[in-house]
Amino acid sequence: MKQWRIIAKEAIARASIIGKFLCLLHVTDAYVLSSNHVVGPSMLPTLNITGDVVLVEHLSHRLGKLGSGDLVLVRSPLDPKKTLTKRIVAMEGDKVTFSLDPTRSHSSRSLVVPKGHVWIQGDNLYVSRDSRHFGPLPYGLIEGKVFMRVWPPSSFGFLGE
Amino acid sequence: MAEWSRSIIPIIRGFCLLYVTNKYLGTTVITYGPSMLPTLNITGNLLLVERISTRTGKVQPGDIVIFRSPDTPRKVVCKRLIGMEGDQVTYVVDPNNSDECKTIVVPKGHVWVEGDYIYNSKDSRHFGAIPYGLLEGRAFWTLLPRKDFGSLAPKPR
Repeated sequence: MKQWRIIAKEAIARASIIGKFLCLLHVTDAYVLSSNHVVGPSMLPTLNITGDVVLVEHLSHRLGKLGSGDLVLVRSPLDPKKTLTKRIVAMEGDKVTFSLDPTRSHSSRSLVVPKGHVWIQGDNLYVSRDSRHFGPLPYGLIEGKVFMRVWPPSSFGFLGE
Repeated sequence: MAEWSRSIIPIIRGFCLLYVTNKYLGTTVITYGPSMLPTLNITGNLLLVERISTRTGKVQPGDIVIFRSPDTPRKVVCKRLIGMEGDQVTYVVDPNNSDECKTIVVPKGHVWVEGDYIYNSKDSRHFGAIPYGLLEGRAFWTLLPRKDFGSLAPKPR
């Protein structure tokens, strides 16, 4: 009986160390820095079509320090299980002029971004589904700012304007 | 140095556990304002909110939900869920001035929320259907005031 108690105690001690580490990892991942695998053509030429691993920081959007030109990770307003990576083109109150389908026509529309929202667009306007399709994005859906790419190693470096 | 760190560690562990519970299981919120009369008081209620339903997609129309405001991202708002994506919702546009009704279909990935007291509530009738990603939890129990202690029944419209 005593054997089992000793084994159980040791198992709990080891499990609690792992638990504490996972806790720390989770808090860092959600509030400081995380990595993300980005796939798709909508951010060419900034991000590759075959997939990049980027580092996302979760501090700027909580402090309100995002601005136009920033690459952000957002939760999709169309499918809450998916996250998208796009660029902020305009903040609330700004006037944004956009062309819905650059392959078809030159006509463009303008609107003012409402309060509490941002306007996001992919760098590759021809194949990106973004605010031109689903409208301005509520600020609450922004999850972090993409600032660096770590894979593939040939394109390692900071991602800027 | 060792003595001091020995008493800090359980506090950090306690905060960790509290944080994970708050983020993934449930939390309490204080609501105030007239938009959910008569269900919730104008002066304030302490509600118990669980986060599992919204994370697993099991919220139903009729539930009272809390969500991040689409207008003011620092505010969290409490309203009743009226329609999920694909549902057809009929609502009174401005009940104070006219009886005009509108019917819309809730777009994909969005939900329609309205306050119980539509005469004084800023909800989806003003800012449109909100993306599902803004939902933060489902309020299911009232803790304070004492006389309202009890479960918050889902009320389909």
